[in-house]
Amino acid sequence: MNFLSKTTAALKAGLRSLSPTCRDASRFQSETLDHQLPPAKRTGLWLHLLICKWCRRYGRQIRFLRHAAQANPDELTEADPQKLSGEARERIKQRLQGEEKN
Amino acid sequence: MHTEGETTDNQKTQGLSDPEQWVERHGDYLLKYALIRLRDTAKAEDAVQETFLAALKGGKTFQGRSAEKSWLVGILKNKIYDHFRKANRETSFTDLEFYSDEESDRFVADGIGQGGWIHELGPQEWIHAGESLDNESFWKAYRDCAGKLPKNVAAVFNLREVDGIESREICALLNISENNLWVMLHRARMALRRCLETNWFGKHV
Repeated sequence: MNFLSKTTAALKAGLRSLSPTCRDASRFQSETLDHQLPPAKRTGLWLHLLICKWCRRYGRQIRFLRHAAQANPDELTEADPQKLSGEARERIKQRLQGEEKN
Repeated sequence: MHTEGETTDNQKTQGLSDPEQWVERHGDYLLKYALIRLRDTAKAEDAVQETFLAALKGGKTFQGRSAEKSWLVGILKNKIYDHFRKANRETSFTDLEFYSDEESDRFVADGIGQGGWIHELGPQEWIHAGESLDNESFWKAYRDCAGKLPKNVAAVFNLREVDGIESREICALLNISENNLWVMLHRARMALRRCLETNWFGKHV
């Protein structure tokens, strides 16, 4: 009984790899941005993307957002007020001057 | 052969940058850089201060301002990593309660087609997406959406997406498993995509 249920579980897992749902595929597509998928998942994802325009769109969009962030890192914080405050500026200068004297 | 005083004068004539100028020239940029990753003004200010102090000890000459800036950013990166290593020891890093359903309400729950996108709720078409990148309002929307990510998740997301740090390195830094990291990143990407679709791309057809 134990052997059978283990085998069944393994088969199910294998099938999920080779024939992922959109839900699985969205997770796999995210993972492709971070590492190479193992062969079964890679094949399964490829097969799924052949027939699923929604997932193709999802993949395009997350890749678009990644490239946008990489190409525009300065946009990721506000232009203002992310400047060193006058107080912080003075404090750091004082500290540097103190160190220089040592 | 030089005495201490003469060495300093020579360094000045060679153009060793004046540390006081560093703060004026690079302070704001370094703060912005640190803020994206640390998300906390006090911590970011500390990191910037530590960077300048370390740079002072380093003592280098530069051909130009941009070389100087790159060097300082390199030091700052290490200070930021130090912060993460320290923070990791002090706090638990799993943020998996965040968006734990992974948009499960947008996938068919059971029966035929289980796990597939419910079509009306799936990814919509983004018209002229590239043009958005030139629009300040888009970036405001992006910052607002990114701001909704839990702090830890946002930090990890930035390390990976913006800095391009490898998965293995992030995992070593934060002492989390690769699987944990990938799940976090998946949820962050999913949430960011959804938020921007709702608040930007869905509205600008």
